[in-house]
Amino acid sequence: MTKPATRPRPPAEAVRVATPVRRRRKRHPGRVVALVLTGLGGLAFISVLVYAVLTALKPAAEVLAVPMRWVPSTFEWSNLALPFTETPFARYFLNSTVVGVSVTVLNVLTCTAAGYSFSKFRYRGRDALFVIVLATLMIPVEIIYVPLYSLVYSLGWVDSFAGLIIPAGTSAFGIFLMRQAIDGVPDELLEAARLDGAGVVRTLVSIVVPVVRGPMAALALFVFMLNWDSHLWPLLVASDDDHRTLPVGLAAMQANNLGSAGVPMMLVAALLAALPTVLLFVTLQRRFVEGVTASAGLR
Amino acid sequence: MAVLALPRRRDSADRRRHTTGMLLAIPALALFAVFAIYPMLRVFYLSVFDYSLTTPPKFVGMDNFAHLATDPQFGEAVLQTVVYAAGTYVPALALALVLAHALNNRTRAGGLIRLLYFLPVAASWVAVSVIWRVVLNPDGLLNQALGLHLNWLTSSDTAMWGLVLMGVWKETGFFLILFLAGLQAIPGELYEASELDGAGRWSRFRYVTWPMLRPVTAVCSVMAVIRGFQAFSPQLVLTNGGFGTEVVNLFVYKTAFENARMGRASAVAVLMFLLLFVLTLVQLRVFARRDR
Repeated sequence: MTKPATRPRPPAEAVRVATPVRRRRKRHPGRVVALVLTGLGGLAFISVLVYAVLTALKPAAEVLAVPMRWVPSTFEWSNLALPFTETPFARYFLNSTVVGVSVTVLNVLTCTAAGYSFSKFRYRGRDALFVIVLATLMIPVEIIYVPLYSLVYSLGWVDSFAGLIIPAGTSAFGIFLMRQAIDGVPDELLEAARLDGAGVVRTLVSIVVPVVRGPMAALALFVFMLNWDSHLWPLLVASDDDHRTLPVGLAAMQANNLGSAGVPMMLVAALLAALPTVLLFVTLQRRFVEGVTASAGLR
Repeated sequence: MAVLALPRRRDSADRRRHTTGMLLAIPALALFAVFAIYPMLRVFYLSVFDYSLTTPPKFVGMDNFAHLATDPQFGEAVLQTVVYAAGTYVPALALALVLAHALNNRTRAGGLIRLLYFLPVAASWVAVSVIWRVVLNPDGLLNQALGLHLNWLTSSDTAMWGLVLMGVWKETGFFLILFLAGLQAIPGELYEASELDGAGRWSRFRYVTWPMLRPVTAVCSVMAVIRGFQAFSPQLVLTNGGFGTEVVNLFVYKTAFENARMGRASAVAVLMFLLLFVLTLVQLRVFARRDR
């Protein structure tokens, strides 16, 4: 029957962009020039966001004044309330949060369980199933949206949270990432748990999960950010007032506020919509990088 | 070592354990089967039907494909996608590669500068589009900085380039992350050895960095093509496909959900799938290692 496979186990090692390999380099004049040049480029990149923040706080008359002024003559802090008082922005934000958190939790659960299954158990068809999952990794979801929509439509999930959440409940790269990570958990640990009388699920919860917390966090962060950005699917499947997520809601708000009077409000809304993922990114940069490299199949 | 699979006698408890282990994959596989594999197969099926969601599909053979072949709008959508993808991702990849070299150090300044390029990656496409509507406004930041007065988003001469500029701004950081990860995987000894051999900066890049980066470059290039074909939000939000910016995804969206021609939209998806498949194979082959 099935033979005992002893495939090499790579260590579950994190890719670290934040801390490159140390090379003994003295201070090179070329390196200083490179830093100055990239720094100037970086300032040009970030100037767009600085401009957006400052313009969001300008009095309406100043937003598109010529010549442009960077700093508002008076800071209109009341602009910050505009999206909340003029539009259902709070609702969109809440919807995005509910959907983002649900999708993330579902992905972490399903992908961790599947990764554990694919990594530590032998059963017929296991490797074939894994290959099928991997094969879908490179297909953009847009390609299947038409049949997916007609499926969700016939399930009666249009204009519901189910339609937003359930189809996004697992992911190929998540399964791949978690299998790689769990491959690095030593079998001896699992065996010890088994001798102590722990069952399969219990071993997963109390032995495997603590060891692969890092990759699980990377997966959670990456899925959340991806979902927060998702636009086309929510637009198709739940674009009514009660279910609009931020991307759909923002687009609708903007369509109603194309004049320059709406600029501060739209900028406040856009910046607030971007804030959660940007903050997550700044605090959890390394996890995000792990997620990106994992989604690219680089590890 | 391999304790899980005890050779010879696998008692029934062991067998049961592996069966339980198999069950753990079921939630993920079930979701996958229903919401990925089934639609994948069905998109091929639907592509030969006339189908509007509310009426039963009617078989039309290759009609959908024949119609697309002569539909100027589809041809334009493909062309506009290619222009957008190439215009955005060629500069973004080149810029990311250069930046990765300059920023591959562990100084505090380097870390801070990296962050400046990463932030647009973290913001969502629609939020970024809303911000760029103001940046690209005739009286917005870009024109003021360049001393121009262009109506970027309402002219066929400039709309695509406005979107491309925004795309480069948004996407460079993503590839910077990948290239940095690739650079850091190169063992430092290789550089030390080549320095001992008297290799200069350029030949170190040419003979060490570039070949060692090849797998990452391949991944970046494949992802760039896929991301290019995924373009949707900026085009919908900023121009609604007007002024020569209707990319394929927008064409599919309008065909399927505004004109209720789901079969024809599926035919586009099939063509895109085949095109991406071929492009991915070609790229992997181009970047395949000649040695070993």
